[in-house]
Amino acid sequence: MEIVVCVKPVPEAETRLRASADGKNLDPESVKFVLAGYDESAVEQALLLKEAVPGSAVHVVSYGPGPRTEEVLRSAIALGCDRATWVESPNDDGAAPGVAARALALAVAPLPHDLVLCGKQAGDDESGIVAAALGELLGVPDFSAVIDLRWDPAAARLKFQRATEAGQETWEAPTPCVVGLQQAWNDPRTAKLPAILKSRKATIAKVPAGAPPPTGPQNLPEKFELPPPRTGAKMVEYQTPEEAAQKLVKLLREEAKVFP
Amino acid sequence: MTPTVLVVGELQDGHLTGSTLEAIGVARSIGGATVVGFVAGSAAKGTAVEFGRFGVAKAYAAEDARVDSAPTAVTAHLLRPVLESSGASVVLVGGTTFGRDLLGRLAIAWNAAVATGVTELSPVEGGLRVRRPIFGGRATETRRLVAERVGVAIRPHAFPSPTEAAVTCAVEVVATIEIPAPLLAPQRLGVARPAGGSGPSLTDASIVVSGGRGIRGPENFHLVEELAAALGAAVGASRAVTDAGWRPTSFQVGQTGRAVSPQLYIAVGISGAIQHIVGMVSSRTIVAINSDASAPIFKVADYGIVGDLFQILPALTAEVRRARGLS
Repeated sequence: MEIVVCVKPVPEAETRLRASADGKNLDPESVKFVLAGYDESAVEQALLLKEAVPGSAVHVVSYGPGPRTEEVLRSAIALGCDRATWVESPNDDGAAPGVAARALALAVAPLPHDLVLCGKQAGDDESGIVAAALGELLGVPDFSAVIDLRWDPAAARLKFQRATEAGQETWEAPTPCVVGLQQAWNDPRTAKLPAILKSRKATIAKVPAGAPPPTGPQNLPEKFELPPPRTGAKMVEYQTPEEAAQKLVKLLREEAKVFP
Repeated sequence: MTPTVLVVGELQDGHLTGSTLEAIGVARSIGGATVVGFVAGSAAKGTAVEFGRFGVAKAYAAEDARVDSAPTAVTAHLLRPVLESSGASVVLVGGTTFGRDLLGRLAIAWNAAVATGVTELSPVEGGLRVRRPIFGGRATETRRLVAERVGVAIRPHAFPSPTEAAVTCAVEVVATIEIPAPLLAPQRLGVARPAGGSGPSLTDASIVVSGGRGIRGPENFHLVEELAAALGAAVGASRAVTDAGWRPTSFQVGQTGRAVSPQLYIAVGISGAIQHIVGMVSSRTIVAINSDASAPIFKVADYGIVGDLFQILPALTAEVRRARGLS
């Protein structure tokens, strides 16, 4: 099975965020970038399928500016991906939904791709539309919020579950298709030191992103705001559990006004 | 300009979902907009009438049984001719998996500027201004979508459900069109409702009560469920609980589970790993109940109770029932 996995560098979950000087975006200098959380699961799932289906290969693709995009591609190679393609964006415009999908699709289309995997959404802008947009661009079906993705060789179909608002859905689908992954079978593996060292010398194919269309929809950042720091919880003081319960219900009803 | 705003209906048990109703409310709040509805499925014609209950006088129905077990891409495909014939310039959907999947398709096929998880929205020259939490609620961004075509998925519970304003809804059944074979090949074979069934679904609920490792075992989870039942809340769980198999994965709130943003989130016996926090931090009010006063959950909570949950929970459930007049 030819698997393509699309990944994105995002700020580490614990990083303190800071607005850029013009106040419109995140200041990318202020944070450390890592492989997005769901993308880690997508890489893990790609590698699990590669191990389960003989003759498979995993090609990792990312769109974004350097050096962080190149770094996450190398980290994916260190985890076990076979090849990598970097679609280099000229600037930090990755936040506009649709732009990344178009750039990724240009790189993915010429590659053999039975299965295109990505995380169901990235932890930075949380748009969650790349799988569907890739499906449209590649002319194949897409599925988001996928868990328990398996290949049934006898039926030549993918079998999987989706965790949607309706509940847990059971699906089967032929390839090719795009899958936005929520969870792999396992926790994402960590790379071993020799593989990390080797990945530094791996060849990464570089593809220009191509110019954006001169006219068309514009998605313009205006303001990036951080919430006031949380001051910590107001603690309920009490002598008995009953008193704690009464005080909390009163606070929820009269102060927070969220009691049903 | 009086834009035409098209609300795409998502169905559950043959009715419009709560998220769809919220989208209708937002559409009606856009000054001067003409609001129309769209719904696809085997019973689309009958369901489309429901738009009228909330003041929408015109709806399009793609009566097509092929939709029922097909991917969202099929609904997006059936929507295309309606986008043209209705003259819509804005598409609104509920911020569910369905809504995001639909907008991803429209971003390309309809060449729209799109935004998901939107909590505020206002018309601006040539488009819409939207505000949305990002980074798991750790930041908020404002963006201007300047385009002839705009698609927005609203964040669940960020907007109130619309008041009923019954009008007669003229339903136009749209002609059946060809659907590309690859989109029809996948099949949804079934849906398992979250166990515990009668309560609201996790992402639809305005109150969520979640249990964590502090519950100590599946045999004690009824304490969480009883509090949830008293509040009319959905039940969630931390990853520790679902990994241990005390509750199915579908209960998991957090980075690898579901992101929720209810009016009230009560975390019981959950220490507050960042993995969990990103899935619930944008809730309006957060309550933490934990025996460890230094648990990180208290840093993001609005109200905290340090104590033995095995004593606090029964007392709280009883007090909630009393306060709500339940016997």
